Amino acid sequence: MINPLVNLFSYGCIGIGLLFWFWGTAFLPSRRSVLFKLHMLSIADTLGSMAILLGLLLKRPQEWPLLVLAIISLAIWNTVLGYVLAYCSTTEATHD
Amino acid sequence: MSWILIAMILALLIPIYEACKDENIWQKMLAFASIASKTAMISLFVSVLRDDWMLGAVAVIILSVGNAGLMLLAHVIKRVSQA
Amino acid sequence: MIKPIVGHLILRLTIWLLLTSDLSGINLAMGLAIALLLPRPDGRSIAVGDWLRMLSKILWAIPLAYLEAFEMLLRPHTQEDIVLERVPPQRSSQLIFLDVFVITFTPKTIVLRYRQDYYEIHRLRPRRTGRELEGHESEE
Repeated sequence: MINPLVNLFSYGCIGIGLLFWFWGTAFLPSRRSVLFKLHMLSIADTLGSMAILLGLLLKRPQEWPLLVLAIISLAIWNTVLGYVLAYCSTTEATHD
Repeated sequence: MSWILIAMILALLIPIYEACKDENIWQKMLAFASIASKTAMISLFVSVLRDDWMLGAVAVIILSVGNAGLMLLAHVIKRVSQA
Repeated sequence: MIKPIVGHLILRLTIWLLLTSDLSGINLAMGLAIALLLPRPDGRSIAVGDWLRMLSKILWAIPLAYLEAFEMLLRPHTQEDIVLERVPPQRSSQLIFLDVFVITFTPKTIVLRYRQDYYEIHRLRPRRTGRELEGHESEE
């Protein structure tokens, strides 16, 4: 049985994560620069997903190895992808 | 718990719409990056819902390998557009 | 000094154990064998103090990132500009990678490029009628 406080906290984390997902992704169809959208996506996809994973971790602590690995790989890969996309998209802009 | 899944799928529709709509290649890449991590998160969520360890392992592999593929693609696009 | 091989070994073994989540002897031996067999990148060893400082920076970056995200949620950041930040001299490549990681992880800043002695950082900031901003805005 899960402690109700822990349950509430985990739903809070998942709620914050979903809020970040919707808010950060909502800027995608707008006419902003790639870099601005990249900032927003780093909120949505990295921080939002990490919050959702934390919520899941509180809910199902017996699956912690998988979820911890997911949090680590999410943080590293999404951040590095953000850097690579920023690098590649701006070199193209200066060369044109 | 299923309403969370519905909300996640709704959030996934935004980058899919953007990927179909926008012609600029970098905007498309951004949308694909977003789709990649969102789908991996959804499958991870489903794996936790169903207590399915194998599906979770697949989701974690998608999470890392899918992004690595996008990184390589970004470099290829940069090279091609410079040539 | 930490020998780089030990650090790589610990990292690889941790990932293996998290992925398999099995602490039995044979699995541990298998992970250890794979960690030893994978080719190791040649790197200089890094002073322990540098590692600890970097570790605390990474751990601090996580709450900071959420703080910045909430700040951006409450107050729209619409201005973009590019700033340069100096790289401390004699930085090893691993530490530079971690620097870039921490800067890009926080949502307000993204490293665009790493030059010989500075990082080129793209930054978001709230709308403020600062005159010093106008020069940068025209670049964007």
